[in-house]
Formats: sequence, structure tokens, C-alpha cells
Amino acid sequence: MTRVLGTVLAVVLIGFTLLGEWAAPYSPTSPVTAAWAAPTTAHPLGADALGRDVWSRVVAGGRSLVLTAIPAALAASVVGVAGGLAAGWAGRRTDRILTGVADVFLAVPSLLLALVAATRLPGSAAVIVATVCGGAPLTLRVVRDAVTQIRHTGYVIAARTRGERSVAILVREVLPAMSGLVGADLGLRLVIALQIAAALGLLGFGAAPPAPDWALMLRENMTGVALNPAAVAAPAVALGLMTTTLALFAQSTAHRER
Amino acid sequence: MTALRAFLTAIARALLLLLAVSAMVFVATELLPGDAAGARASNGATVEQVAALRAETGQDRPAWQRYTAWLGSLATGRLGTSLVNDRPVADAISQRLPASTALVVLALAFAGPLILVIGCWAGAGSRTRGTRTAVVTGLAAVPQVVLAAVLSALFAGALGWLPPVSLLPPGGSPLESPHLLILPVLSVALPTVVFGAGLLAGAVADTVRRPHAVDSRLRGTPTVLFFARDVVPFLLTPLARVVAISAGGLIAAATVVETLFGYPGLGSLLVTSVSARDTPVVQAVAMAAAAVVLGGLLLADVIAVLADPRRAPRPKRRAPRYLGVQP
Repeated sequence: MTRVLGTVLAVVLIGFTLLGEWAAPYSPTSPVTAAWAAPTTAHPLGADALGRDVWSRVVAGGRSLVLTAIPAALAASVVGVAGGLAAGWAGRRTDRILTGVADVFLAVPSLLLALVAATRLPGSAAVIVATVCGGAPLTLRVVRDAVTQIRHTGYVIAARTRGERSVAILVREVLPAMSGLVGADLGLRLVIALQIAAALGLLGFGAAPPAPDWALMLRENMTGVALNPAAVAAPAVALGLMTTTLALFAQSTAHRER
Repeated sequence: MTALRAFLTAIARALLLLLAVSAMVFVATELLPGDAAGARASNGATVEQVAALRAETGQDRPAWQRYTAWLGSLATGRLGTSLVNDRPVADAISQRLPASTALVVLALAFAGPLILVIGCWAGAGSRTRGTRTAVVTGLAAVPQVVLAAVLSALFAGALGWLPPVSLLPPGGSPLESPHLLILPVLSVALPTVVFGAGLLAGAVADTVRRPHAVDSRLRGTPTVLFFARDVVPFLLTPLARVVAISAGGLIAAATVVETLFGYPGLGSLLVTSVSARDTPVVQAVAMAAAAVVLGGLLLADVIAVLADPRRAPRPKRRAPRYLGVQP
């Protein structure tokens, strides 16, 4: 029940972020008032350097980040689940090699990897690379632990005795049993992807002006923080709410599944 | 003898990891599509000019030759010259090093004790453990950019107590103007505290369940004495490891904070070099950062051996499941 609720809330949150542009009262990309105008009733969060309405930009600004983060999180999850299934099912040497490789990737800070990858790749591709390298090893660990437990359950042993092939057992018997765990884990990878995307966006490797984008807004509005603090605080709070909510739901689901 | 063997294992492991990281950095900077010669000559250079530039920088050789040559020059301390301004990379790094060191050392000094306190708080509650873990999880999910922005909006914006940018006077030491360091240090340290506390909480929870700790609680030892005598001494090894891992995250985190506050350290050097596609500088800074990370882990391994010589350092680092991004 809570799992359904959590999933619905996560989908609604992401849905609002994706469709937020329609709810913006003003154009998020063109000037509508004075530069760095303080909050008024017409512009509840004031204006930025070009006089654009901050509220409209915040409402519209999560879309590009989420659209970058979702494929990155999916990629990390797919790689991690595949690796975890292989390591947990095969055991022994395969397990040692795969977890060893995962440890190597975990030793490197993800943001450092993202930056190095951004030397050549466009920002969104660098987010995917870094999320896969930094997130997939964690998924691999979680899935591997789950598989080593599931492989000794009765229905898996029954399937093996029937003579089914390993891949068929993994896809038809093991994976469905872990769907909740994998779903919760996907939520956590989404948090990582959002963190990396936000950091890269702030460093100038994300959305290009004049797009409304939370990370870009932080970068642009920092110079006017003394004139209109809301222009910096608002996108920050929006991003923080999003990641915190996702993490809490994913974490509580993961606990229950384990 | 066992201790010596454990040391050697730890050193070999760190070197092997460093080699693996160097391969990652090389692949990311040299083998991914798009190359520096093409980017550098993009404004109206002919095909021949690009080819000549490639030959000049050795980019027409096979990848493995370039990799071994690069490794060799790294090992002998030749970091090359910048593609953008032809200055030696070593100069650029040594110029930025003091500011970065000040930032990271101060942040660690601030974060270390707090990691211990909050880790104990999050790990020790028996009935409230779930809530406390949730608090740490929720806080750990807050992106560092968010924290830095909120701190800045509050202290530099709404309250006006601190300057919004931390540009240092040319040639000046960061320690001469400590008020410029407050926002950067806090923004780097606080996510580290949450991350480290989350890691440490597991070790704390294990320690308070040990027989001597349970006994001590039943005897009614005051909380402060209980932690000081029965818990913290057992946390030395995990704490060293947590601080080492967090220190690695600090260096990556510094890129965001230095850029946001205009603080002239290695992090902002890395960011400007990445956007200028200045490969030699990116490689050198990334390898330096990786070396610090792995050096920290090695140090933690050594501390583990010294604390308990019978046990070799455990190669597995437990990463928190809810995280992944080091702050």
C-alpha cells in the first residue's frame, strides 16, 4: 500500500516538474519587470538579472534536469541490475571480479568523473557516464545480495530442477521477486543523477541560457544574491525538495523490501 | 610480520587502484569522441593544419602508446604544458594549491568532530533509529549546490553578513581574510558531515550492541561517559575510513563551491580547464585529486592495521545504499 502511495507520489512529483511550464504565469524566458525586482504580489519571488519572473522560471525549471536524470538513472539501474544478477547467480570468480570492478568505480568521486567526461562529451552525456560509473556499483551490490538469497528459495530450485536455462530463471523467477527492491533502487539512482546533473549545470555544462533551469538559475542569480535572495533560494529549495522526497520514499521502500 | 604484510597489501591495492583510475581518466579525456586539436583549431583551420597539430601533440599515435607515454611522464613528474596558454601545468597547480589546501583542511577540521557526534546520534537511538536514519537520508539527498545556494542566499543575501563572492586578493593567502572562507568551508563541510555521519552510523549501531556497551548502559553510565569510554574508542578504524572517503568527496565538492563563490582553488582550475578542453591540465588535476582520495584510503587502511594488527585491512568499503554521490 505505502509502496503504491510512494510510487504515485514520485510519479506526480516528476509529472508536475515535467509539465510545470504550463503553470507558469509569465513567460519564463522574457523580461516582464525591472531587473532584480524584489518580491511583490504580482511577482511573488521577484525578478532576476534580466527582469524575468523568478516564480515562472522555477515552475518551468525542473524539466531539463529531470529529463537528463531519468535516462541516466535508468542506464545505471540496467547496468547495475545486469551486473548484480550475474554476480549473485554465478558466484565465485564472476562475483569477485564484478564486485572488485564495482569497488574501483566507487573509489572515484562521481563528480570528478563527470567533470573529466565533460571534457569531451556534452553535459547530459557526462551525467549519464558519471551516474552509471558512480551508481551502478551500488545497485550491483544490492541486487547481488538479494540474488544470493533468492537463489536458494524453493521456487527457484524448482525451476532449476525443471531444467530451465539460467537466463530464463533470472528473468522469469528472480527479477519479478526483486521488482520492489529494484524500483526503490531506481529512485535512489535518480537522486544521484539529479545531484550530478545539478552540479554540472551549475558549473556551466548543462542547459544553455536563456532556458529556465534550476542549476542554471543558481549560476546566473548568484551575482544578485544581495539584491534578490529569493532568486537563488527558490530554485535551490525546489531542487532540494525534489531529491529529498525521492530519497525518503525510495529509502523507506528499500527498507521494507529487504 | 602480519602487520608488514598487511601494509604491503594496502600499498599494492592503492597503487593498483591508482592505475585503474589513470586508465579511466585517460579513456575519458583522450578516447571519447572529439579531440583537443580539433577543438583548438576549430575556428577556420584546414584539415592539414589539424592533422599537423595532431602529429605535433602526438595524437596520431595508437591509444596504448599514448597511454604508456602519459603514464611514464606522470610517474616522472612531468605534467606537460597547458594547451590554452602554454604554461607548465605544474605551475598552474602549485599556484592554486594553497587556496585549495586551506579550504579542504579547514572543512575537514570542521567536519571530523561533527561526523563523530552526528554519527553517534544517528546510530545509537534504539527506538528512534528509523526516524534518525530518515533524517540523515533526507539531508544526504540534498544536492550540495542547493546547500551552498541556500547558505549564500541567507548569509550573503537576506542577512548581508558575509560577502557573496570569495575572490582572494592576488598573491594573498586565504588565511589573511578568514571571513571569505566561511561560506566556502561551510558549503564543503556540511554535506560531508551528513555523508560521513550516515556511513558511521552503521558502525555506531554495531558498537552499542556489543556486550560491554550493553552492560555499561544497564549499569546506568551517564550518556557522555558511555560514548567517551565505551563507544568512541571502538570507532577509531571506521572513523578513519569514513574521514578518508569523505575527504575524497571534498575535493570533488570543492569544484562546485569554488566556482559558485569565485574562490581560486584547484576545483575552479579543473572546471575552467574542462570547459576549455585543456586536456593536460584536466588530466593532471584529476589524477592529483584521485591520488589524494586513494592516499586517504591507504592511510585509513594503515590506521586499521595499527589499531588491530591481527586483522588485515578489509578490502571492501561499505558504501551507504541510499547514497552514491560523495558530497
